[in-house]
Amino acid sequence: MPSGVRNPAVLCVLVLALGTVAVAAQKDRYLHIKVDDPAKGENVNVNLPLSMAEKILPTVNKGNLHEGRVTISNEDLDGVDLRAILDAIRTAPDNEFVTVKQHGQDVRVAKSNGNLVVHVREAGEGGHNVDITVPMKVVDALFSTAKKDELDVAAAIRALADAGDTLLVSVRDAAQHVRIWVDSRSSQE
Amino acid sequence: MILLGKIALGIAGTTVAGVSLLCSEGMIQVKVAEKRPDGHHIRVIAPALLLPIGMHFAPKDGLSEASSEIQPWLPTIRAALAKLRECDDFAFVEVNEPGRQVRLAKSGGLLVVDVNDEEESVHVSAPIRAMASAVEELAAAAPPIQR
Repeated sequence: MPSGVRNPAVLCVLVLALGTVAVAAQKDRYLHIKVDDPAKGENVNVNLPLSMAEKILPTVNKGNLHEGRVTISNEDLDGVDLRAILDAIRTAPDNEFVTVKQHGQDVRVAKSNGNLVVHVREAGEGGHNVDITVPMKVVDALFSTAKKDELDVAAAIRALADAGDTLLVSVRDAAQHVRIWVDSRSSQE
Repeated sequence: MILLGKIALGIAGTTVAGVSLLCSEGMIQVKVAEKRPDGHHIRVIAPALLLPIGMHFAPKDGLSEASSEIQPWLPTIRAALAKLRECDDFAFVEVNEPGRQVRLAKSGGLLVVDVNDEEESVHVSAPIRAMASAVEELAAAAPPIQR
């Protein structure tokens, strides 16, 4: 045994540190939504513990949502095979997959550091800047159901709770700034 | 004299026990303060236990419609309230706009709603446990399903 560990004070610090890590690991994680409209002087903050969302979601059975899963109609998908696209992305290395540039709009979809990243840039005064970052684990969980026309939102929330602090969505235009992120703080301060 | 003392002690004990029981679920607090010069200031503090008790003895006819409407959402409400009791304190929603602030938060075992605008400020707080009991009373008031 190293001499440092034999020291009771060091042992206490070690136990305390391990305890802190254990408590931190159990700490609830929160989904935050913040909408800022500086021009109107308005802002809306929403905070939701992910564990609560995880418990509530499976109890909601209304419309397309049932048992924590969302059914997507073929019309919504417009013939796009999302699973095939996801499989292709999952197996591909970090890269820029899609870059679409057209009049006033620049769309970039990429996989980077285990995240699916979408950037949309619209030129012009009222143009939107959209940044979406979703951990691939969350995307995988979303598509983890056996049915092709379903998304498992509850599983995605569970995966999100296990993921690190992440800024999921940022949408900014001339008037508003919307942000959605996950961290372990119960407030947005 | 000793007998009188025993009676007094009995009454005092019963009163303390009764008050303790009444307050065991916490208190519901409603504060409304109008901001105009001669505005009313209303403050009501009531034992939360009265809420489910009141609903239990309320005429079922009056509650049956609300009870029927709440039925599909009971599992969701139960799950939300149960989880809410376990969670740390946090603010669900905060809305700030010129002349109005709204805050819905969990604080201790309470659900707290604060609305502050140019005309009045409203504060409502209710124990989550009492809300859960009240929801169960409301659920029980549903008319029996006819076959």
